[in-house]
Amino acid sequence: MGNKSESAISRREFARRAAFVSAAASLAPSKLLRPESIAAPLQAQQPANAPKLSPEGQAEVESRIQSIFARYGNRLSDAQKADIRRLAAEAQPPLDRLRAFPTDNGDGPGLYLKPLMEREKKPSPIPATAKPATTPKNS
Amino acid sequence: MPGEEIFYLSVSELAKRIESKKLSPVELTQAYLDRSQKIGPRLNAYARLTPELALEQAKAAEKEILRGHYRGPLHGIPYAAKDLLAVKGLPTTWGAKPYADQVFDYSATVIEHLNRVGAVMLGKASMIELAGGMGYRFASASLQGEAKNPWDTTCWTCGSSSGSGAIVSAGLAAFAIGTETWGSIICPSAFCGVSGLRPTYGRVSRYGAMALAPSMDKIGPMARSAEDCARIFAAIAGHDPKDRGTVPIDKGAFTYSPSMELHSRPLKIGWLTNAWKSLEPGVAKPIEAAARILKKYYSSVKDAALPVGPWEDAGNIIVAVECAASFRSLIRAGRVNELTDPLGQIAGYVNEQYSAADYLQALKVREIIQKKMDSLFETYDVIVAAAQPIAATPLTLNLETELVFPDPLGGIGNICGLPAMSVPCGFTEKNLPVGLQFVGRAGDDFAVIQAGRTFQSHTDWHRKHPKIH
Repeated sequence: MGNKSESAISRREFARRAAFVSAAASLAPSKLLRPESIAAPLQAQQPANAPKLSPEGQAEVESRIQSIFARYGNRLSDAQKADIRRLAAEAQPPLDRLRAFPTDNGDGPGLYLKPLMEREKKPSPIPATAKPATTPKNS
Repeated sequence: MPGEEIFYLSVSELAKRIESKKLSPVELTQAYLDRSQKIGPRLNAYARLTPELALEQAKAAEKEILRGHYRGPLHGIPYAAKDLLAVKGLPTTWGAKPYADQVFDYSATVIEHLNRVGAVMLGKASMIELAGGMGYRFASASLQGEAKNPWDTTCWTCGSSSGSGAIVSAGLAAFAIGTETWGSIICPSAFCGVSGLRPTYGRVSRYGAMALAPSMDKIGPMARSAEDCARIFAAIAGHDPKDRGTVPIDKGAFTYSPSMELHSRPLKIGWLTNAWKSLEPGVAKPIEAAARILKKYYSSVKDAALPVGPWEDAGNIIVAVECAASFRSLIRAGRVNELTDPLGQIAGYVNEQYSAADYLQALKVREIIQKKMDSLFETYDVIVAAAQPIAATPLTLNLETELVFPDPLGGIGNICGLPAMSVPCGFTEKNLPVGLQFVGRAGDDFAVIQAGRTFQSHTDWHRKHPKIH
């Protein structure tokens, strides 16, 4: 059974992990769904300079890897698979930092169709009598 | 035929000669074509030269000018366009083998704008495959091979507008069009010692340009001076109903004339203290000298700091997710295997795995930093730092392991869609160019141009060019 931190996984987090793993389910043994069983093989296969991840983070990384291998494994060489393992692990700390950043329910997504200047900023004032800081001396 | 010096004249200087009929656009175009044919391949600068089209456009320009119909400062001026901009009937490869035979039956809005003002397209500039969206480990990640820096051909131009940087730096065209999702105009401009403008997001239409990360992609000029960038930007900026990312008509257009600066406001400059962890010693010296110059001419220069937060993480996830969506069919079909770079062949598979919730969290974080930056620009009109903490790197460098450093200014500037300009500000002890970067508030492109122009009015780094034989 999972340890204390694993048992604290929210339903949403569980659902997300399950979604990651679902694509791999046909190839991966069902025990892969349990975080503690996922973390072990990942640790064993990561290079020495791989980022240190929490068990949850390791589980998430492994589920991503399995999802990729399930879908695309037959077109990947062993070297590419090793590279994917590394990339997936390196992608986790930025994700953790991003998720830890506090955002409120009311914070809207910064969508590209509405740059901030378009939405709410008035143009910067240009003093009518302002002198230039310098006069260009050439073109 | 024009002499060697003609190749390094600014657009403004060439325009004066063309308008006064002292310089023939046809002769100028032919001279640039000859030079590009001779030197271009040595630098892997072009994806393709288009001499027939160039001469046709040059002849049309010359005819009009002789008849007294002068269209403006880009009329008869030869340029190169990054090979991710569609030009009707010509191959547009996006720098990548899977698209090597791609031909569009329409031209990008930017190309149409440049046609309208009478500019002459010499060819398509080489680039990093798919503008680097899939990641890349080596400078050779391009259908055309590694772009060599005209200042030292054992060094790289930076990417992804690598050919655009090499072309302007080597005097193979008067200007080039580049694009930036994150760093692809600013870095090659700095490494190649040219002036580059990354406009505010949405100011220049991307219609007909390869989409990498649609909420971050921008198109801008690379040229010999800030003033040239302003003139080119004026020609290509504006709302476009074909690109829903463009800002409205009243905020899109840009007009420029040197006299505008006589009425411009005194800029409040913030000198960034935390843009880079450290600068390479060869870079630090010119940057310190640039700071002294700015302080001499702007009494308002004060130290400023970027907000601290996971802005780069947000930017990385936005690029990764949007790029995976942009190239979904390529990834799913396994044709990423045809890309040159080993990292590009696999990173798409990893990028496909990010969740929608994480992407939306990144967008929320973007909204927060947009507001924080807007507050910072209540105090400063322009913030300044080194364009890059290093100078041009060796062609063989493993970029994934040996060129890794935090870039909060690039991350923030690009996820917030802020305008930026890199101008040359000196050289390292190895004679490699160093760039100074100005970043302004969204929509205030004029402020970064004004800052660059003022800096260049008191320095002549932008007039230096490499010795090419």
